[in-house]
Amino acid sequence: MSEASWRSSQSCVELRGLTVSYGSTIALRQVELTLYDGVTGLFGPNGAGKSTLLRVLSGLLRPSGGSALLFGEEIRSSNESIRRKIGYVSHDSGLYARLSVVENLTLFANLYGVTAVRVDEVLDQLDMNEWRSTQVGALSAGLKRRVAVARAVLHEPDVLLLDEPYANLDDDASERVSATILSWRAPGRVAVIATHGAKRVKAFADSGIIIQRGNVISYRRRTSTGYEVAT
Amino acid sequence: MAERGFVSKTTLLIRKDLLVETRARDTLPPMLAFCLTVALLLAFSLPGSTVMSDAVDLPVGTIALADVIAGFLWITILFAGLIGFARTFEVERTEGALDALLLVPLDRSGLFAAKALSNFAYIVIVQLVLVPVFALFFSLDLGVDWLVLAGVIALVDIGFVSIGTLFASLAAQTRSRELILPVLALPALVPVFIAAVELTSDLFMGGGLEAVAARGWFGVLLVFDLVFATVGALAFEFAID
Repeated sequence: MSEASWRSSQSCVELRGLTVSYGSTIALRQVELTLYDGVTGLFGPNGAGKSTLLRVLSGLLRPSGGSALLFGEEIRSSNESIRRKIGYVSHDSGLYARLSVVENLTLFANLYGVTAVRVDEVLDQLDMNEWRSTQVGALSAGLKRRVAVARAVLHEPDVLLLDEPYANLDDDASERVSATILSWRAPGRVAVIATHGAKRVKAFADSGIIIQRGNVISYRRRTSTGYEVAT
Repeated sequence: MAERGFVSKTTLLIRKDLLVETRARDTLPPMLAFCLTVALLLAFSLPGSTVMSDAVDLPVGTIALADVIAGFLWITILFAGLIGFARTFEVERTEGALDALLLVPLDRSGLFAAKALSNFAYIVIVQLVLVPVFALFFSLDLGVDWLVLAGVIALVDIGFVSIGTLFASLAAQTRSRELILPVLALPALVPVFIAAVELTSDLFMGGGLEAVAARGWFGVLLVFDLVFATVGALAFEFAID
């Protein structure tokens, strides 16, 4: 499906009264959201609660209150069928420093039942073939970021959660990451990309959420004529 | 590509841990260095010329050398193990791979089994070095009872790595995990290591398989292995999450 013809419509994620607190600090406050298929940009300053929201969506963090549903199922990392649907990149690369790029991707490919051909495919997409035999610990921060994105899209998840995927990337690498996300995008799939630099994601996002101090202050979806307020 | 089964995925994770260790060498070398240092110090502090058979003849009330050596052997293994267990999730911590690992479609008991079996491999390697060194330094000659000792060690190791891996997963979530792990694990490990010392001491005194089998500690060890391997596999999910 081409970028121009994309219209998100299927409800994938539902957050109802979602609250997360760390001790006395409230990171997310009574968040009410319905996310549709397509790419959603999650914008906000540092400490807004973007990473916390992504961790809840990945199932790695249990909310203190409220509920988070993915395709109608409660999001919990203990639920194997939910885990299979998720591709997640946190602030860290999520890789093994002492394994090479291809060893890392092959390990996760084998764990997800993905072929070696797919490993080569994502390496090509992200232009990482030159470094395939290099240990991840020896890569620059930007290169690690690209391998992290490769790992997250490797098993073609239905839900792609990317926390600052453009951090430390040059323009060319950023374009490759965007192209990888766009080639992954398909009906019934939802991506949430958290970033404090909105410009790059806005270019292709189907919807955008602005979050500040744990509160959603704006949620808009792209329509054929512009943007509309969403809930 | 057909998705791999539980055993195949678990084996992949064990191979990954062992491959990383062969490259990083940051778990086994400190364990081995600790063991060899302790063994060397003990060789100088204990009467090295005394053979085990002499110890049996010591008068009542005197600590038999066999008991002392068995105790030191297992204390050395205990602390070497704790050094290794504290590093159980270090390989994941470096680049935040634990999150990625927790999201793979493998039951948490598979993650536990992979980590426990990797730890088991480290402990066995340490013992393969340490036990011969003890035999050399303290003139241990068990004859065919070496096989019985190997069996006792294997039984102890099952309980040891089950408890150690479970509590390592709990401690991994804390900042001072190297300090937390012994605090959590040692109380649970006491019965396993008492059984280990008692059974090993029997063997060092020349008791053989019959003496070992007749002791209640053998049963204690079996029960603890069963309980902690099961509890470890079931509780790991709550500990790691």
